[in-house]
Amino acid sequence: MSKNLSELSGRKGIQDNLFDKMGKLALEEGTISKKELAKLADEFLMGTANTYGAMSFYDFMKPDNKNKKVYVCNGSACKNSGKQAKLTKRLGKYFDKDEIGHMTCLGRCHENKAFHFEGKNYSDVSKKDIKKIIKGKSFDGSDAYNMFAYNHQVLTQKGIKMTAFATVLSKVFKMGSEKVLNEIESSNIRGRGGAGFPMAFKLKSARDTPNDTKFIICNADEGDPGAYSDRYLLEKQPYMVLLGMMAAGYVMGANWGILYIRAEYPDAVVIIQKAIDKLRKEKLIGKNILDSGFNFDLKIIKAQGAYICGEETALINSIEGQRPEVRTRPPYPTQDGLFGKPTVVNNVETLAALFYIMENGGEAYAKIGTKRSSGTKLVSLDSFFNNPGIYEVDMGTPLETVVEKLGGGFKKEVKGLHIGGPLGGIVPIHKIKDLNIDFESFNENGFLLGHASIVCIPTKMKMMTYLQDLMEFAKDESCGKCFPCRLGTQRAYELIEKANDTNYKIDRTLFDDLLHTLKTGSLCAHGGGIPLPVRNALDYFGEETALSFQS
Amino acid sequence: MLSFIKRHKGQTYVPTLCDAPNLKPSGSCRMCTIDVALEEGGRTKAMASCHSMVSEGMHLHTHTEDIQRLRKNIIELVLTDHPLDCLTCEVNGNCELQTVAATVGITSVRYPEGANHLDKQKDLSHAYMTSDMSKCINCYRCVRACDEVQGQLVLGIAGRGFDSHIIKGMEQTFADSECVSCGACAQACPTSAISDIFQSKSIANTEKVRTICTYCGVGCNLEVSKVGDAIKSIQAPMDAKVNQGHTCLKGRYAFQFYNHKERLDSPMIRKNGKLEKVSWDEVYDYIANKINGYKKEFGADAIAGISSSRCTNEENYLMQKFIRAVVGTNNIDGCARICHSPTALGMQRTFGTGAATNSVGDIKDTNCILVIGANPTNAHPVTGAKIKQFAMGGGPMIVLDPRRTELAKYAKHHLALRPGTNVAVMNMMFYYIIKEELVDNEFIKNRTEGFEDFKKQILDINMDVMERVSGVKREDVRAAAITYASAKNAMSFHGLGVTEHSQGTFAVMQIADLALITGNIGRKGVGVNPLRGQNNVQGAADMGVQPHQGAGYMDVTNPLVHNQYETFYKAKLSDEIGLKIPEMFDAAIAGKLKCLWIIGEDVAQTDPNTKKVVKAMKNVDLLIVQELFMTETAKLADVILPGASFLEKSGTFTNGERRVQRVNQVVEPYPGTKVDGQILVDIMNRMGYTQPDYTAEGVLAEVAQIVPFFAGITWENLDINGKQWPVSKDGNDTQILHAETFKRGLGYFEFHPFEETKEILDYEEKYPYILTTNRELEHYNCGAMTRRTRNVEILTEDVVMINPKDAKKKGIKEGDMVCMESPRGKVDIKAHITDEVKKGILSTTFHFPEIMVNNITSDVHDSEAMCPEYKVVSVRIRKSKGVFRN
Repeated sequence: MSKNLSELSGRKGIQDNLFDKMGKLALEEGTISKKELAKLADEFLMGTANTYGAMSFYDFMKPDNKNKKVYVCNGSACKNSGKQAKLTKRLGKYFDKDEIGHMTCLGRCHENKAFHFEGKNYSDVSKKDIKKIIKGKSFDGSDAYNMFAYNHQVLTQKGIKMTAFATVLSKVFKMGSEKVLNEIESSNIRGRGGAGFPMAFKLKSARDTPNDTKFIICNADEGDPGAYSDRYLLEKQPYMVLLGMMAAGYVMGANWGILYIRAEYPDAVVIIQKAIDKLRKEKLIGKNILDSGFNFDLKIIKAQGAYICGEETALINSIEGQRPEVRTRPPYPTQDGLFGKPTVVNNVETLAALFYIMENGGEAYAKIGTKRSSGTKLVSLDSFFNNPGIYEVDMGTPLETVVEKLGGGFKKEVKGLHIGGPLGGIVPIHKIKDLNIDFESFNENGFLLGHASIVCIPTKMKMMTYLQDLMEFAKDESCGKCFPCRLGTQRAYELIEKANDTNYKIDRTLFDDLLHTLKTGSLCAHGGGIPLPVRNALDYFGEETALSFQS
Repeated sequence: MLSFIKRHKGQTYVPTLCDAPNLKPSGSCRMCTIDVALEEGGRTKAMASCHSMVSEGMHLHTHTEDIQRLRKNIIELVLTDHPLDCLTCEVNGNCELQTVAATVGITSVRYPEGANHLDKQKDLSHAYMTSDMSKCINCYRCVRACDEVQGQLVLGIAGRGFDSHIIKGMEQTFADSECVSCGACAQACPTSAISDIFQSKSIANTEKVRTICTYCGVGCNLEVSKVGDAIKSIQAPMDAKVNQGHTCLKGRYAFQFYNHKERLDSPMIRKNGKLEKVSWDEVYDYIANKINGYKKEFGADAIAGISSSRCTNEENYLMQKFIRAVVGTNNIDGCARICHSPTALGMQRTFGTGAATNSVGDIKDTNCILVIGANPTNAHPVTGAKIKQFAMGGGPMIVLDPRRTELAKYAKHHLALRPGTNVAVMNMMFYYIIKEELVDNEFIKNRTEGFEDFKKQILDINMDVMERVSGVKREDVRAAAITYASAKNAMSFHGLGVTEHSQGTFAVMQIADLALITGNIGRKGVGVNPLRGQNNVQGAADMGVQPHQGAGYMDVTNPLVHNQYETFYKAKLSDEIGLKIPEMFDAAIAGKLKCLWIIGEDVAQTDPNTKKVVKAMKNVDLLIVQELFMTETAKLADVILPGASFLEKSGTFTNGERRVQRVNQVVEPYPGTKVDGQILVDIMNRMGYTQPDYTAEGVLAEVAQIVPFFAGITWENLDINGKQWPVSKDGNDTQILHAETFKRGLGYFEFHPFEETKEILDYEEKYPYILTTNRELEHYNCGAMTRRTRNVEILTEDVVMINPKDAKKKGIKEGDMVCMESPRGKVDIKAHITDEVKKGILSTTFHFPEIMVNNITSDVHDSEAMCPEYKVVSVRIRKSKGVFRN
């Protein structure tokens, strides 16, 4: 991260944004020509190495992406389902091998066979329908999944339209920013992106940092393969999310709300943009909104395919058009974030919950869930469940309830659940009964709630194969900035691959040293988090994995 | 935490790879990770100490078993992607990776062979820079140096994860990239992944001498490595106050001229029209006899000297002493005449002292920078890089320059005025500062005089006319004026774009008055800071290389001063002001000047109106040129004295911020040459004046007795970072001038209306284009030194910049030869089409004798200081077929 590049990028403000421009340029050819990169560098007073370096980072901009025509999902849920090979074969009838790329998790984990074609997502479509789609005939690619609240309806309330938005917004203005902050504080809400950091703390810090320009960023880069609850909120509850951003922005004194939405969710981009346009038309964003004196506008920045951008400082670098490498802290984004301005980054679900909190007060929210993990949590279940879908449960709900009662058990035999994304723990079936859906329960048991996505690992799949996939993802998505992660994930992948492909047995001390290095040494949770599922796998599936290690 | 640990436990107590003293923490290598507990025996957390803050009560465990395990394992991972060919590596023994690997105790790499980058190709495309990315450990120090130190943004990173790799531009070579060869990356690189052709980090280069750069007035400290009497490489010491481990391609790489085969290697006397090598004895006798003869026949005033800003203070002192005390005339001048003489004069008139009020280091304390008529990223690269960092980081900067210079691109306000209209635009700025009530009344009341008159006249200026002549919109001037005047601390830097004008001195006074009217004087982060051109141009004037003031700026016509000098020099002196350089030329042409002694100054190539200069040179009876090379001026000489370069002598240089620094001899003078100071001593003795042999300590001690502001300076107490004058008897130096009072008492406001230069008035119609002159980074002035280094491979020739619209109108394409004609003559030069210059404006350099641009420059001078107006030349242009030879 470069302070100079932050400043140079920020000179033109968020409206004339470098990364946005790069994304648009990449749409045409799948990548950006050197000539265009040089022009951008000139325009933003940067070096060509900067624009080129940023371009080369992203899956949907880098030169390799040129001429890719269709993308097959290789998220863990789709991979574990074993259905993607067949899909790729089918698509192979229409495309050359090098025209078929990958997208890591289109959020169609509930039915798989997911692919992306000409800016739209499809899943579980028949051979005949694939032909239709490829031939350009009209086809509705939207999906349907189970979705309901087990207890409280906080995030899955029905019918939150613009009128409801306006009502709650005027209530927010009426309360005044201090009272709004108090409500958020008393709700005890913690970040839903995975870290569980108290939301009010961040808002307060940004609020107390004086600056004419501040940003609230909605982190809609739901990169965890297997997670699609944010997709649900973006597509089905756009006003809830946007209200949350405005309330948070109002507290901290932000003038811009930015939604950083992943390219893998094209519908979400369209739906949110429509909602923003409507708000603008109704003057619910812009200058002096509802005579409150509050000026606030919203902008979508479309991500370009890099898992690390879910990490908040990488996300900030990404918006600045820098390489999305993780920043060192301090300084914290709340004081020195996007373009060097005070910035709060919150997950979609965290922001959406503010709607309920504004509507019903912080106390009401705090009463839901457990003392330390208040509120509800969305859980996403993949296609191994009999009833896959998105479920809203109160924090503290037993995992068994989710698996058995809501999920309806498994279609096929499953030996473990990978919960909370690739960096979450692998829960063996026998541990399900020990866990509740809340931060503490998972921590105490040596797992991680994370974003609460649940991906099943079928019994038939070798655990070492799953770990190889996992480590391939980890190495592919490492930003490369810190030594442990850049080198460690690569070497871990190579060791596992070698053990899986040949008679090679891994030196257990070496592997243990490697995991220790990753966990202790890494700059961020990507390298730091990946040892957890690996250790879980080695601990709980020791009999199976031991075969790959020297005795 | 890391700097805390380093401070208390030493630099290498905690091993690091991505950390560097001049870079912000990056948190990449993680080697500096330590265990941190908030209380004694408390639970520890592993934290990277480079980007974590230490606080009271913390317990830092730097070498726990767990941490040592981590460090060892990180290095093992690094070594899985690093060639293990240490013994044949150029940095063997001086490699940070090697040192750290040894520290953590690596004995083997346990990983099976995996993917690696060992087959990366070397890049040997560049004149100086080299890379071998197979040695790269991805610490990004080079990228950060290119960004945070030089601000060039040439180096970057491409790919991600294991594929992340350092790039130059868009995966280019060094030669093809926009690299400015500052070498910051090579110095920052902990391995040999980025290096240079001199292998600067090689352990073979162990014998090091610290000295001061010979090029510009920044005064970078250099660390010169040598083996025997051969210079191997140059690096920039981190503990240098002036340059903090940074320098430019001239300082770092352009040293190979020192033993170039074209070095003059013997005294010569012109006999029968040809220069013939003679002995030192013969040349000394020849000179002594001749000068004594002229003195007898025509009087001492028929002899004159031009001393050199490239020489040491001690040598300049001796030259002026020789001219004054041995010859007996005040006909002594220096190159400042043609660069910053208006600065010295203007600032003396306003403040009482003609030198920078502050230090370059104040950039970190300022809130606004005003750059007027200067292009420091090319001409003063290290200061330029600092100013650029300020602007890149969002610091408000105002640039007054006809050209869109590198800094102008980053400036908040760029006032692209027509060359020659500084005074008009500055008056507009005063107008708005007064109108907007941004004047510092308190300061004006207590510390200045003349303001009321000044104000009245400013408010009377005709803004319509000013706007029209300058070509700058009044709103733009207003905005810039407000930015400058409302900043808490604002500092200005100016260069030859201010001084080399017919109203040069007045413009300098305006810059000084701008500081007065806003109270930006006398504290950190403010002031008036001329960017002195040559390494020791400040020092030359300090030493008395001026026809009206002796050593220490004392008036030679003042009887008391005159007496003091006569007593001190034990000689009879003249009390009449001597000739300035242009007057010397006039006197020569008029036949009044019989002998001219020039040290290290190529007037034939660099002074304006070449034809006239050459005529003057030819017209003197005895032209003595003391030089390193056979320059255009030396070719005209009757006597050649082979001098020594900065690497071959000791003494002191004074940089643009009044810092007197020690120059230490690195190697013996080139065979057949002598230290310039010794040549002067020899001739003084030969002419009957007793002067001890040249030593830096000895002459400096003499200087300290006569120059008041050197009173407390000794060779010893200058130490490594020098002292900023005035230095009081007790050795205390001065970072900031005019803190309490001005040398002249009160700061002085004086209004000067804009006046069109005679050049434009006389020739505008027939010669409608304005040619201005600039400098390129790669070459230094006449290029005598830089053209004899590999810098010529990077920049090969002078070109003229032409606006695309003008080029189109004249049917000129990039690279076409263009004939530029002025009332003085014409030259043919290659065209470079760029919108850096506005329509109607041309700009060029005079680094190469092939073009001799000064054939067309004018000899209009500043009305006060007689500095020539290089910056405004009326010309006409047309496409031409080839090179016209004068």
